[in-house]
Amino acid sequence: MIEMLRINHQFAIGKKGKERVVPVLHDIDLHVREGEIVAIVGRSGSGKSTLLNLMSGYIRPTSGEIRVAGQSVTSLSEGEWANFRLARLGFMFQSFQLIPSMTAFENAELPLVLKGLGVSERRKRVMELLEQVGIADYAGHYPGELSGGQQQRVSVARSLMLNPPIVLADEPTGSLDSDNERQLLALIQHLNQDKGTTFVLITHDEQVASIAHRTVNLKDGYLLNAYGKGDNPAHEVH
Amino acid sequence: MRFTDQFRFVRQNMKKNKTRLFMTVLATAMGCTFLIVLASVGFGLQKSIVEDMVGDRMVTAIDIYGVESNNEVDRVIDADNIEYLRTVDHVKAVTYRNYVQQALNPMIDGQAVGSNATVNVDFAAESKAGFGLSAGRLPQEPREVIVGFNIRQTPQQSGAAGGDTPPADAPPAKEWLGKIMELKVKQLGEDGKERTMKLPVTIVGISEQPSREWQTDSNVYIGNEILTELEAFTGTQWGAMLLPEDSGNQNAEQPPGLQDPRQFNQVQVIADGANRVKGISEEIREKGYMSHSIASELKQINLVFTIMKIGLGFVGTIAVLIASIGIFNTMTMAVTERSQDIGIMKAIGAHPSAIRRIFLLESSLIGLLGAVIGTVVAYVISIVVNIGLPIAIEAFMEEQVPDDFVFSFIPPYLAVIACLISLGVALLSGSRPAKRATRIDVLSALRRDI
Repeated sequence: MIEMLRINHQFAIGKKGKERVVPVLHDIDLHVREGEIVAIVGRSGSGKSTLLNLMSGYIRPTSGEIRVAGQSVTSLSEGEWANFRLARLGFMFQSFQLIPSMTAFENAELPLVLKGLGVSERRKRVMELLEQVGIADYAGHYPGELSGGQQQRVSVARSLMLNPPIVLADEPTGSLDSDNERQLLALIQHLNQDKGTTFVLITHDEQVASIAHRTVNLKDGYLLNAYGKGDNPAHEVH
Repeated sequence: MRFTDQFRFVRQNMKKNKTRLFMTVLATAMGCTFLIVLASVGFGLQKSIVEDMVGDRMVTAIDIYGVESNNEVDRVIDADNIEYLRTVDHVKAVTYRNYVQQALNPMIDGQAVGSNATVNVDFAAESKAGFGLSAGRLPQEPREVIVGFNIRQTPQQSGAAGGDTPPADAPPAKEWLGKIMELKVKQLGEDGKERTMKLPVTIVGISEQPSREWQTDSNVYIGNEILTELEAFTGTQWGAMLLPEDSGNQNAEQPPGLQDPRQFNQVQVIADGANRVKGISEEIREKGYMSHSIASELKQINLVFTIMKIGLGFVGTIAVLIASIGIFNTMTMAVTERSQDIGIMKAIGAHPSAIRRIFLLESSLIGLLGAVIGTVVAYVISIVVNIGLPIAIEAFMEEQVPDDFVFSFIPPYLAVIACLISLGVALLSGSRPAKRATRIDVLSALRRDI
């Protein structure tokens, strides 16, 4: 489903003319299969968020190629990436990324608005999903009036609104208590099994990693190993 | 993304900072008002001055006041000239006004009529040229005439019209429609005695009221048939009376006879459209005719006013451009304030063009709102100026402003142009902030470090 081929990435930091190049990812080869839950783990600064940002198209790799569903996305323009994201990708963020001036309903509705769907169709779909994630009663509330768990549910509803085949999640449980975390993980597993949605999760949390079919370990920008459930994590594959 | 959703986004955004929005719209409205009011002065003056000039004169009329032959100017227009002028392309009619050379002492019901003069016109040509009637119709039978609008005013009343006192009310001339008017034609016989012929005619039309207050029309207009009868009696052109042989004036010449070349006065060529006047003027000028048309005069004056209007409009546009700085500032602030929202929208798949459209829509709405308010205010100011300025001039400068004088006139297309300028300037001011919005970096926005 997602193929990352010999990906290298580096950032230039510092003032113009005096930039310093900081390499972040080195020769990453990663394949995520359709219907798989893959957890990317690693210490802070290991490059896991950069890896997810590359998959999302928020940044472009310095070298290498990324393919999603057989389509090379490395050289897509910004507009093409926007269309691609809307059609194929769902996003869950650690800090939920809800628009404060919009209600829970309006935030969840946003992908449908961007897609250009009609009002009645939107209303039906949004209420269905808000019901599914257990936040329908708070549809008219603004993010500031909701708890962290409730906000994440809105964010999850928004990410699933267009039934994306792939969901990219950056520390999705990072701001949740254990109850909400458990519920979210259960939902992810349910969606994966029920609809075959592919998930790529970035996490520090072993409990989150435990639901993954495969865990990818990153250290200092290198892919150390990739092991499945029951495999020996010490087995290095680079 | 649907237009209605873009509009909803814009409306939500506008509600966030109402004071800033109000000030920006106010600045745009003031700029638009300034532009319209300034240009309206040019339009108003042009309207007043040109209308005053045109008055009752037709813009399709070309006055012929002479013809040049053998490098000499001959001011006499004869029948051949009239015939030629009728053959020129796009000439609808050739009219003339020839005064009968004697007072015909018209009488109605035994009472003398205060007529100024008797004028011979070609009614066939006048019907094409558009002879202005206030009542009745043009003559269709040989013994039918038209009388002037002011024919029932006494000489005292006519004189008063041009003076300081207003003219006394005279009974309307249209009451005479259908009345028989008796014209008395006189001529000296061979024996030196005066002979008289009575010519009863029917009044079938009343000429229109002269456009200027000081003008009066007390003429009797007769057609060619009556003139022919009249000339048959007098034996002279235009019914002129022969001079008595013992008048003592040795240098005096007898008036031209019917066999002599005929002279036509106040000849006008009527074009079939105002745009044909120039072509006809040029064509007849090549043939030696000396002409003058209100259209050529208007062309010069309109050119001056066009330059004046462009100048005033340019100054007004500067005001709109100054207002555009406010729009630019407002939109830049809006983009900065909403950069996180934009980042989130881009992160989940908003197309850059959709984001640009939202901001362009917002700036154009500000421009449109300002333009509409500005136009309404400009119309109000225009009305107030037209009512108030003559009063102020009369009160403080002791000058009399003509009744129909317009200081400010806003034709609908001026309002439309001003709205389009405001809208264009607003779009231009919003284009850079809108472009900036599309370039917002998603990651920076999500980290909220913009």
